[in-house]
Amino acid sequence: MVDEASDIDLVRRIKAGEDGAFEEMVRRYHARVYSLAYGVLRNAEDAEEATQDAFWTLHRKIGTFDESKKFFSWFYRVALNAAYSRARRRPHLPTVAIEDRMPKFSGDGHFAADVPDWSVAVEDEASARELAARAGEFIAELPPPYRDVIWMYDVEEMPSSEVAETLHISIPAFKSRLHRARLYVRQRLSEVSSARPRAEAAG
Amino acid sequence: MSRDEKTCKALILDCLLEFEEGAMPEAEREELQRHFEMCPPCMNFLTTYRATGKTLKMLKPREIPPALAETVMVFVRSRRAKGEE
Repeated sequence: MVDEASDIDLVRRIKAGEDGAFEEMVRRYHARVYSLAYGVLRNAEDAEEATQDAFWTLHRKIGTFDESKKFFSWFYRVALNAAYSRARRRPHLPTVAIEDRMPKFSGDGHFAADVPDWSVAVEDEASARELAARAGEFIAELPPPYRDVIWMYDVEEMPSSEVAETLHISIPAFKSRLHRARLYVRQRLSEVSSARPRAEAAG
Repeated sequence: MSRDEKTCKALILDCLLEFEEGAMPEAEREELQRHFEMCPPCMNFLTTYRATGKTLKMLKPREIPPALAETVMVFVRSRRAKGEE
């Protein structure tokens, strides 16, 4: 996914003022930066503007980039900050208390309520798309530390090590946030899915 | 005496992520697998946890604006031209 040696080579060529090197960086990273920004902003126009901001910051700050560090994690951080900064200019979306949507258990460790199986809904293309759209809204409600982890790992499919490095968190912290974010989105999807039983019981 | 079996709570809160991401000793995986097979609520939870993951993979914006790289270059050049270094 990330070719660090080739990134550093390109960074050096940009620092040396080589013609076309910056443009090559834009071509290499614009889609990933856009997609990351889209995760924060959920809007094509804002994501496009955040992408421009991110590359403008890259242009101005590349001289300060420490080449002993990983380029992608530095630049993804720049891109996330560009998106956060645009998000702050918009009306504030309330974030939720994810604790309220964690699974509930009784004192002996069993589920406190029924667990309906709504998974059949994702087997149908149209209802799966509808659920995906809702899942996007539920991710947007999450506090940013959870939102960014689930977006980068489950949506963008970045490797766990890259997510942890970009967000400057440990692997255990990454796992804990990812799991809680998934539990939250699963619970919200359960609430909106009609709990249709499977047509035929297994066995 | 054998070790106590894991509760549903421990399985869902503490073990499910590792179970799904494949980082788990085989003996523990088999123990959890048995629990899932014997416990309909946990099995439903696992199935819908997986369905959630499948749903999330559909969210990635499939369409990057076609002229985005060019738009970015135009933007950066115009800011440079204004001397906003």
